Formats: sequence, C-alpha cells, structure tokens
Amino acid sequence: MKPIDLTRRHFFSRASTGIGVAALSSLLQQDLGASESALPGIPHFAPKAKRVIYLFQSGAPSQMELFDYKPKLVQYRSSELPDSIRQGQRLTGMTSTQSSFPVAPSMFEFAQHGNSGAWVSQLMPHTAKIADQLCFVKSMRTEAINHDPAITFFQTGFQIAGRPSIGAWLSYGLGSENKDLPGFVVMVSQGSGNMADQPLYDRLWGSGFLPSKYQGVKFRSTGDPVLFLSDPPGVAKADRSRFIDDLGKLNQLEYEEFGDPETTARIAQYEMAYRMQTSVPELTDISKEPAHTFELYGPDSRKPGTYAANCLLARRLSERGVRFIQLFHRGWDQHNHLPKQIVGQCQDTDQASAALVQDLKERGLLDETLVVWGGEFGRTVYCQGKLTADDYGRDHHPRCFTIWMAGGGIKPGITYGATDDYCYNITENPVDVHDLQATILHCLGIDHTKLTFKFQGRHFRLTDVHGKVVKGVLA
Amino acid sequence: MSTRPVSRALFFLTAGLAPILLPAQDTPIQFNRDIRPILSDKCYTCHGPDPGNRKTKLRFDMESVALSDLGGRYAIVPGDPAKSEMIRRITAENKAMRMPPVASGTSLTPQEIDLLRQWVQQGAKWQKHWSFIPPERPALPTVKNAAWTRNEIDRFILERLESENLSPSPEADKERLIRRVTFDLTGLPPTPAEVEAFVTDASPKAYEKVVDRLLASPRYGERMAVRWLDAARYADTNGYQTDAERSMWRWRDWVINAFNRNMRFDEFTIEQIAGDLLPNATLDQKIATGFNRNHRGNGEGGIIPEEYAVEYVVDRVDTTSTVWLGLTMGCARCHDHKYDPISQKEFYQVYAYFNSIPERGKAFKYGNSPPAIMAPTVPQQHQLAEADAKVAAAEQQFAAMKDQLEKTQSAWEKSLKGKPALYWSPERGLLADFALDAENSKLTWEPNGAEFGSDKIHPAAAFDGKRTAVAGDIANFDYFDKFTLAAWILPTAGTGAILTRTEDKPEDMGYGLYLKDGKLQFNLIDRWLDDGARVETEQALTLNQWHHVAAVYDGTRVAEGIRIYVDGVSQKFKVHLDDVNQTFATKFPFRIGGGSGPENRFHGRIADARIYQVAITAEEVVMLSDPLSLNELVAQPPANRTPAQKHKLQLAYLSLAAPKPIQQARERLAQAKDERVKLTATFPTTMVMQELPAPREAFRLIRGAYDRPGEKVTRRLPAVLPPLPAGASNDRLGLAKWIVDPTNPLTARVAVNRFWQMYFGTGIVKTSEDFGSQGEWPSHAKLLDWLATEFIRTGWDVKALQKTIVMSATYRQSSRITPELLQRDPDNRLLARGPRLRMSAEMVRDQALAVSGLLVEKLGGPSVKPYQPAGLWKELSGGLEYVQDTGDGLYRRSLYTYWKRASPPPSMMTFDSAGREICSVRETRTNTPLQALTLMNDVTYVEASRTLAQRMMTEGGTTPEDRIGFAYRAVTARVPSRAQKQVLLDSFRYNLDRYQTDRKAAGSLLHEGESPINPKLDKSELAAYTTVASLILNLDATVTIE
Repeated sequence: MKPIDLTRRHFFSRASTGIGVAALSSLLQQDLGASESALPGIPHFAPKAKRVIYLFQSGAPSQMELFDYKPKLVQYRSSELPDSIRQGQRLTGMTSTQSSFPVAPSMFEFAQHGNSGAWVSQLMPHTAKIADQLCFVKSMRTEAINHDPAITFFQTGFQIAGRPSIGAWLSYGLGSENKDLPGFVVMVSQGSGNMADQPLYDRLWGSGFLPSKYQGVKFRSTGDPVLFLSDPPGVAKADRSRFIDDLGKLNQLEYEEFGDPETTARIAQYEMAYRMQTSVPELTDISKEPAHTFELYGPDSRKPGTYAANCLLARRLSERGVRFIQLFHRGWDQHNHLPKQIVGQCQDTDQASAALVQDLKERGLLDETLVVWGGEFGRTVYCQGKLTADDYGRDHHPRCFTIWMAGGGIKPGITYGATDDYCYNITENPVDVHDLQATILHCLGIDHTKLTFKFQGRHFRLTDVHGKVVKGVLA
Repeated sequence: MSTRPVSRALFFLTAGLAPILLPAQDTPIQFNRDIRPILSDKCYTCHGPDPGNRKTKLRFDMESVALSDLGGRYAIVPGDPAKSEMIRRITAENKAMRMPPVASGTSLTPQEIDLLRQWVQQGAKWQKHWSFIPPERPALPTVKNAAWTRNEIDRFILERLESENLSPSPEADKERLIRRVTFDLTGLPPTPAEVEAFVTDASPKAYEKVVDRLLASPRYGERMAVRWLDAARYADTNGYQTDAERSMWRWRDWVINAFNRNMRFDEFTIEQIAGDLLPNATLDQKIATGFNRNHRGNGEGGIIPEEYAVEYVVDRVDTTSTVWLGLTMGCARCHDHKYDPISQKEFYQVYAYFNSIPERGKAFKYGNSPPAIMAPTVPQQHQLAEADAKVAAAEQQFAAMKDQLEKTQSAWEKSLKGKPALYWSPERGLLADFALDAENSKLTWEPNGAEFGSDKIHPAAAFDGKRTAVAGDIANFDYFDKFTLAAWILPTAGTGAILTRTEDKPEDMGYGLYLKDGKLQFNLIDRWLDDGARVETEQALTLNQWHHVAAVYDGTRVAEGIRIYVDGVSQKFKVHLDDVNQTFATKFPFRIGGGSGPENRFHGRIADARIYQVAITAEEVVMLSDPLSLNELVAQPPANRTPAQKHKLQLAYLSLAAPKPIQQARERLAQAKDERVKLTATFPTTMVMQELPAPREAFRLIRGAYDRPGEKVTRRLPAVLPPLPAGASNDRLGLAKWIVDPTNPLTARVAVNRFWQMYFGTGIVKTSEDFGSQGEWPSHAKLLDWLATEFIRTGWDVKALQKTIVMSATYRQSSRITPELLQRDPDNRLLARGPRLRMSAEMVRDQALAVSGLLVEKLGGPSVKPYQPAGLWKELSGGLEYVQDTGDGLYRRSLYTYWKRASPPPSMMTFDSAGREICSVRETRTNTPLQALTLMNDVTYVEASRTLAQRMMTEGGTTPEDRIGFAYRAVTARVPSRAQKQVLLDSFRYNLDRYQTDRKAAGSLLHEGESPINPKLDKSELAAYTTVASLILNLDATVTIE
C-alpha cells in the first residue's frame, strides 16, 4: 500500500471522531490550498477551455521581424518617420532625444503559410507550419512604454505593482483540478538574445491582496523544482512518511484538546506536502519521455531550464490539470543588434512553442487548453542607434504588436486586427490588454466583470474598470 | 475569508455582513451599522458621491437629496415603505424596473431588502458616517458577571457576550498565557526559566510583573516595528526593474528605538510626516521622515520622469491616509470617491502637501535617491566627534606655529629671488601628473612617437589631430568617485578630446573632457542618449591661445555636482543630460589628446595634465591656473598678491622648504582631516523628506494621468474632516499636527484598532485599512471609542495602551474552542474565547532560532542575508546574486533580513509576509503545503532542529523522556501529555534504530547548516533527537499562539 493512501485513511479515521464528516469534507475542499473548488457561481457560463498555458516573451519581441509583414518599409528605408504617423506619440527617454528617427525595415524574409495564408517570417519556420492552428492578433496595444509597468499591466491589469496576477485570479476563481499540485505554476528561462535583458519579479505571479495561497509556484530547473521540496540529506522517503504520521498523531491530540479546525487543516497540508514530494519530481522527470518527444520539441528540451524543456513541462502540467501555466522567456529586449539577437531568441523558442501546440493537439488537449504567446509591448519601426546595412535596433513601442493564441475557445487559422504600412498604428480592431484578459477569462467560462474581490472597500477585478471580450477571435 | 462550514455564517456572508454584527430582531435599526453598508456597496456606485457615474440627481449618500421631491415622487418617505419609490424599485417584479439594475452585476438579498424596508418603516433616520464623528468617551456598561472583568475593556466585551447569552472562557493556563503574551509583546518565546518563574509565582501581581518586564525589553521595539515596517512599505531595494539596493535601515532602527523609548504616538506621527520641518530638526527627526521615502523608486532606462514623480506622491497620500486615517483616499485619484465624501479635487489638495520635495521622478538605479542625508549611528556620531576634536587639536598645533611660519616663509621668499624658476601646484589628492615636457615612461604615444615644442609656459606636447598619448589603466573612476581633470591647452582647432577614459569611438561609454566647437564638454557616459551626464560650457574658448581648463565631479551623480573652470573661473554650462544611472567605468585606457574615435583627436598643445582623485576646490583651481612661477609670485609686493596667490605661496613653502616641525604639524593636520573624510565615507545615508523653498504647483490630474493636468489646486484638507488646528501652518507639519489633533475623529481609532489586531488577529473594525463607508462596522463600537479616547487621554502612551489590552480578562482567556462556540462565532469576533492564531512569518523563524540557541540578538544595523536557496535572484534578473552571510548574519531576528522587493525571502512570503511593495496594514494567515515543506526542509529549520537536539542532549537531562520533555517545554512552554510524549518517544526509538543502522545518513543530516556540531555527542543519537526536535518545531501548537 502506498504511504499516501495510508495517511489519507488515517486522516479520515481520525477526523471522523472530530467535528463531523460533512463539515470535514467541506473543510478539505476549502482549505486545501491546491485542491480547491471554484467560487460559487463559477463558471458563469460553459467554458471552452479548462486551463491556460501562457508563453510570455519577456522583453517584447519585434512584431516587424516575426509576424506583421510590412513590405513597403523597404522603400521607406532610412527615411524619417513621418509626423503624420508618429502623431506626437510619447517615446521612451532612450530615444526621445535622438536627432532622427529613420525607418528600419526588417532584414528577414516573409512568406505565406497554410490554408489561412498567414504571413510568418523565416525566423519562425516551425510556427509557420502550425499557422492554421493559430489566431494572430496584430492589433494588440498597451498603455505602458517601459518593461516593469508594461509586464505588470499584462500580469495584473494595472501598471503599478500591488494587485493579484492573472494566474492568482484564476486559482482564486476556478480552484484546482489536481489535489497534488499547485493550481498556478510558473517557469522562467533566459534567452540567448539579450543576455542582460530585463529582470523579472516574484510579484508578477504574486497574489496581491488575494490570500497568498493563490500565488504562482515557481518551478525551478536547478535545485528543488519547488523550494524545499526535497527532504534533507539523511532523511529517506520512509522516514518522512513516518514523520508525517507522527506529526499527524500529535496534531490530532492538539485538535482533540483545542478543537480548532485550523489544526485539522494543517494535518491535511502536511499530507498534501508529502504527496507533492512524489508528484512534483514525477512530473518534472522527463527521462521517460520517448525520443520522438524530444525530437518534436528540439534538442534544447533535454536541457533543464531551457524554454524548450519548460514547454515540455507545460504539456505535462496541463495533462495533470494545472489551471494556469506560465512561462517567461527573457531576452527579447533588442535595442541594439536586433538582427543578431532575434535569431537566437527565435531559435530558443520557435520549435518548442510550435511543438507544444502540436503535442497538445495530438493528445486531444488543445481543445481544452488555451495557449497564448506574446510579450509586453512591440518595437519601433524607427531605428534606435545607428542604422547600417546589416544592423539596427528598435525601442519600445506600445501602439501595436502581435500575439498569437491557440486552442480552447479560439478560432484557428485567422488574423485579427491590422496595422498601418509603418507598423506604427492600428488600423482596425484594436485589442487592449484588458480586452485580452477579459477574453482569456471568457474562454474559461468567467465573466471578467464578475470575478471580483473586495479590498479597501472596492470590488477589484483583473480588468480594473475596463475590458471587453474580443468576440472576433472566439471559435 | 475563513471558510468554516457554518451554515449561519454562509447565510449572512451572502448578505455582505459578518454574522455577529447583525442586530438582534428586536433592536432598532441603526443607519450606520445596518443601512449604510448596503447602500454603499450596492447603490453608491450610481447614487453616491461620484458625479461621474451618477445617472440621476438621486443620491443616497446625502439625506437631503434622498428625501427630496423627485417630481411628485419620493425615493424615501420616512415611515411609509409603500409610498417609497426606493422600496418599490428594489422589490419590483419587472426586471426592467428592478434596482440595482441586472446589468450592474449586483443585487440585494432578501435580508437586505427587509432591512431597508424596516429602516424606512422606522422613520429612515440618517447618521453621519460613524468614523467621521469624533469619538466620545462612552459610559462603562453594566454587566452581570462583573467579577470576571479586570478592566474597562472587559466590560464592553462582556456586555456584548451577555446580550448574546454567551459566557467568557476561563483564563488560559499559565504556560500558555506567558507564551502568548511573550510572543505578542516581544515576538519571541519565553525561556523555560521565565515560564517556571511565572508558574511558581503565586502573587496576584505575577502576570503584571511579566507584562512590565516584557514591555521594558528591547525586544518589544523589534516586535512592534515589524508591523509598522509593513505599513510603511519598508525594504532594502528600490522595487522597480533592476531593483537594486537602497539604504533605509537607519529609519528602520529609528522606529525600533521609538517604540522602545515609548515615544508618544503623536510625536511618532509628527516626526515621521514632518520631522524635517520641526524647528532645529535633529538628525533623528530628519531620519524619521524616511517614512514617506520608503515607497519604490523607478530608475528604469527610458521612463518618463514626470510619470513616476506623480506615482511617488500618490503613494505618499495613499500610505499616509491608510496608516493614520484608515481612509482609501487613493480611490479619489482618478475620479471622486465612489463611496466616501472625498472629491478628486480634495485628493489633489492633499497631494499638494507631499509634492514639494526636491526629488526626481527618475530615481537612481543604485542606492539612495535625493534628498538623502548622511546618517551616522550613535557610535559613529561619537567617532565623528572624536575625529573633529583631533582636527581641531591639529589645527591648534599648526596655528601655534603661525609666527614661526611667517618668519621662515618670508626668509624663504627672499631667497627665491634671482634663482631659477620654480613651479608648484596643489598636491592634495593628486593621482597622476603628466608635465608633457619630455618623454615619460608612463605614456605611450600613438600612432608614432611624441613631439615637444618650447613655449612660454612649458615645452608642451604637440597634437596634430592624429596623435594621442595613452596613459594606461589609471583613473578608472566610477559614479560615486570624486575626481578632477585639469590641463593647460593651446587649441588650434575647435574640436578634440583633452583628457578621457573611454572606448576609442564616438559617443561611447566612459568619461572625458573635450573641446567641441570651441566649448568645453564634460561627459560621464554609460549610454550616450539617456544614461549619463553631459554638460557644455556656454562660452567658447579663444583658439590659438593658452588656457587652463579643469573639470571637477563630486560623485553625487547629478550635473549639479559638476564644475568646469577656464583660467580659474567657474563657467556656466548647459546640461544636455543629467541622468547618471549606471556605472561609466570602462576597461579602456586613460588618454591625453584622444579617445572617442579618430575624429576627436586634439589639435594644438597640451601641458601639465593632472588627475586628482578628489574634487578640488575653486581656490585650488585658481592656484593651478596661475601661470606664474613662485619666483615671479614673490617678486610681486605682498599687497598685490591675490588671496589665492598668498595661499599658494604658503602651501608651496610648506611642501617644499618649511622646517620639519612645521611640516610635521601640517602633515598631522592633513592626516586628521583625511581620517575624518575616511570616517564619514563609512557612514550610512538615508532618504528623507525635505521641503522646497516654494511649494511646487499641484493640479487635479484628469483621470489621474500625469500628463493631463486640470485646474490648479492648493493645499487643503477634505471638507468632511475638521480644519487645520488653530495656529498650524498649512504645510506638511500642519498636516501632521492635524492628524494627531484630538479633534481628528479617525487617527486614534485607526491606531488602537491596529494594535488590537496585533493581539486578536482581527481589528474591532475588521477592515483596518478602511474606516470609510465600505469598511466594516466595528464589532464593539463603544469599546473602540473608549480605547481611542483613552489613548488620547493618556497622552498617546503606546506602552500603556498595550498594557491595558494584555491585562484585560478578555485577552487572558483560554483559546479552547467548543463546538458550540465554533458554530456561534467561527471567527471569534465576540471574543468569548482567547485568540488562537498562527504566528507571523517572523515569529515562526525567530522562535526556531531562539529555542535552538542559534539566535544572535543585536539591535539594529544593516540588513543581513540569512540562508536562501542558491540562484533565486539570478534566475529572475541575470544580474545580482544573493551573497549569503556567514556567522551572525544567518541568525539575526527576521526583521533584519534583507528585503529585496523583486525576490523577497521565500520562507517569509510562504508564511504570508507583506510584500512591501505598497502599504499593508491587515494581517493574513493561510495554511498551505508550502509552509509544511519549509518547516520540514528549509536548512534554517533543519539546523535549528539539530542545535535544539544538541541542547536536549547537553541540557535536557539523561533519559529520552527528560530530553523530550525539555525540548517540548522550551518550544511550547508546556509539559507534554503522556500521549504526546509516547508519540515522540516512539519516533525517537524508530529514528535511533534507523540512524544506528545507517550512520552515514546520520552524518548527512547533521551537516546541514553552518553552526558547529558538538563533537562529543553520538551522531546516531543526535540525528534521532534532531528528528524529534524537527517534529516539535513542526507542531501546530508550535507555530500557533494559543
């Protein structure tokens, strides 16, 4: 018999002498951090997706190099960005004092792919192959022009830190499908593009004013995958099992004396911790994946901590019912030497992102999993620094950028929204950050105006006081 | 929200009210308690204070409007629900007519509708919002069981219990009581000896003696400070992007000391908000103002400074109003407050008290941003006084030689006449000096060799627009370094590098003094366009003429700290960029006449190039730029000599020819001064508030946006609150005095409520951050007012307030929960039992350190870096790495743990620490598997288990039973029951067997942590006890204050 079963049985037998089984099962549901039921009333309507995998491209990939094909830029090369296009748009302090704003066309070739005829650049050959699975949104826009506020905005719906992250909102609203794993998992990787790229912050997956049990749990590639998961040296599995049993007995004695339900909850938390000690290593151990899986995700997927390895883990997490899986891949902040750096970034991510979508599809999981790929803003069409024959850089651009979505609830094989010939302004169907958030929630069966939490007298929500579901991308 | 399965609780939860706060059936409806919360939550969004959202004239936050004639109809007809449109609409069958509208997403519960109807029936009586009415000292309630009460608090608590037909719980047993009060007042457990003393002390004053001892302990200030640091969003890093270090620990220590000295709460308040504006403000009073500089600061490249300048001020208003007034003023940033009577304009009127400090929206990426002051600690202040005394003594000794000096100098001056020309220049801080009059082994000439010409000043080196002299790896200054560059130049073309240390291409990283179109440019560059300083003199030099040029930088990272001199005269300059944010140190060599690319080679001649590692004074520059030789100087009659010339002669004499005793006296003086400089360089700095001479303008910002100013506003307090006290100035100091004026209805209530929350887990007003109309009605309104008025009456005596609370019978009750009580009052708001709460994050760790004997107690000082899993910082930023301390730094109390906002200490966060990004005043407690993993496996706890086990074996007697009893008592203050002991003994035996069989495993377990292993102890046995100690440290009873 597995020790897990033993302790669970113990738990129920002990508990039945306590406050009553009905109350207890409710307790179990409500107090176990990771096996929680949804809030009353949620889902608000039938969900299309059960979970989300968000592939966050941190640093802001250039839309012009990857997906938003702008052939006319070649003839505008080196010419000054017209005021009629810039329209007084505020620029970051990094380029606002530049004496000129020369247009820099992309150096990379584009072609149309799939039945949908989506334009994808040569940098993304694998993504190009799954173009018919994807919905490209070319009309994303944001209000922030610097990394910290911009990424905070995507994560929390507000530019200033302090509010819960989207994953925390979903854990709070939807609960978890898996009682042995956290409901919100985060994985971080460093790209080969800009090695001195923007930092990330724990608060990006924090719970803000929601209880801390909803915060994302970061899975790490070195050391313990979850902090303090491993027993200390010299403590074997059987020792820990015995320890949990003894602790349970002692806490049960405490409960019998004091009658505080928190004590029973704590007994359950230790059992959950014990189960995680098995379930997490089992999850992160990819050694038993067949060779063709690694071929699919690319050679990097064998190296722990790479984006490709994290994509593979994302699939394994989604198989196990984790609600919100978020990858952050750093290195996209290409102010200088963009042509060189972006090649590395694409090599890091292209194959594995495409493999993940394909893998989910082959396993029948894509229908119920929403995959989102994108960064925190776009990049400028004008050159930052010196424009030469084979080198240029791009500054931050909030007014338009491209993301893609796939899977649960999303219409495949379409392009939504469009930008002008300079790739500077949106010409149709703008999508605000709050709209994207509302749409993600919608796919999960949540009305974004109704997932609220009262704090400081206000009913806060992820989308602040904004957001509308982007109907045009829904299946 | 706790989630106990109690049906009655669920019923009321849906009504939006805590169950116990509802009136009994027969009590009359009270507007503030029963009605306002419903109107506020469900109606004010459209019928409230904010006109932006109001769809009609009708509003329910003003009685006059709510009762007014709406064209023949009345929303509310007092006493007549049937004629009241409001009641008709909230009960309308027709969905289109129903209020609140379906589309609003809110609806009224049947209970709420019933309450509203009853209220109208009973006459629809209005009340001003309770927290805006000044507290009046309530009469003490009469209670039946007066014998139970110990002080006034108990009367109020008991009155409510008796009305609910509940009885208080008996007093907690002495072990639990002393453990509870010791944690609550000091954040640490009692020692077994302290427990023993209390248990055996039969005197009626036994408990009070303990309380007095704890209040007098320096640990008290540390405990009180922690929650204040959460409220003040105190941290060791700047918070945005790179999230580099700042230094605010002097402020943190000020808070600890203030609590320990029992500083009156009104002074505590005034000094933190406006200590800088007090007459003759002391260093401590200035340090105190760091409260409003603890907010995060953004130094990310490319930000728009104005945007963040607004954020900082908004943060100050938010934090100050939350902490002292319990008001969510921040809600009025973008529009009028939706629930409370605070208009958007009023928000910006309060904003205007906080925006007049000489700060910049773009903070320094590294370190403290201005305004900051040097903040020596008390021992350092003593050292400074000593250093000052040494300088004074040396000055005196030197001055005593004045006559001798003048006499011998005069003789020396005479001796110079007719001798070969002798030159001298200031030597203080001279790092390198290139005469450039001949070949010099320290210089390499590129591309091919040097050329020298003779000239009236020097036989200076010639530069032809190609040649440059490379001085190698010297003068690699960085942005905190003071330095000076100086040279004689004879330019023949308008553009060229004079002295530089940069890569040899244009606009690249490094520093340098250049000639550009005839003007002098001085650049300190990380990134040319946005990270560095670039200044340029207004006036061009005359070409083909010798000039002395100097650039001085004082290491302050601002253009204000730069001086440029031409021929000894300070020049006006234009600031092209003033944003020194990151290092400009480079690996490239120091050059003369070149650097920054071939297009920037110097044309003409350069002589006497000098690098000083100090910021030389204006007078020293004048001396440098004086072309006269000493012989020529002395040839002038003394009356014609300028002061600088006189001084130069003296310095030259002292350096070249003065008799030994004089030279020695002068050297001693220089040394004393140098030591003082070195000493002050070790002093910490701290950010403070300062006031600009004239207030900065403030505007109402439309939608709260920095770039959309509306009308101008001036400093003014919200109309709903009392005006400034008579005689108070209309500035931050006046505001601070207003906050603690006894007529302010909020401050004392908000403060006592937060202290109450520290002991009972929940405030009397549960929403301790919000006393506005969306806040919760107090569970014991009269008690809150009694405590508030008592706090003011006792002169804001913080320790006295704590003592009153912990001396009460209410506080001393047992926290045992009966099933009946759990049903009736799951959240313990009525306090028919004592608090039983999981400890705060700091207490969990500090307890483990204390009971294991690892704790290093030391009050204050820079933050420390205890154990943390490797790589946590690096994997997020790729930059800074956490460098764990060794020794004492591993074992200090948790409030000293280095707080990096982007990556806070994980064990602290797991146990619900506030993130310190923004103000946090409410405590939360969760119960998660990650907490279990931390307590079982974090090296902190594994090591503490081992050292506790060592104590068990060396201090805990000889038998396993005794040793287990020892540890159990050390941790929980109690003696284990027979059943508990049995489980622990069984565990010990299992583990002893296990580790005797596998001694290697024992060794591995024991090697966790840095503290030494007691070599005299048997390893297997120690490992077994380590596991038992770990069991005890993991107990529910251990991490709970019972």
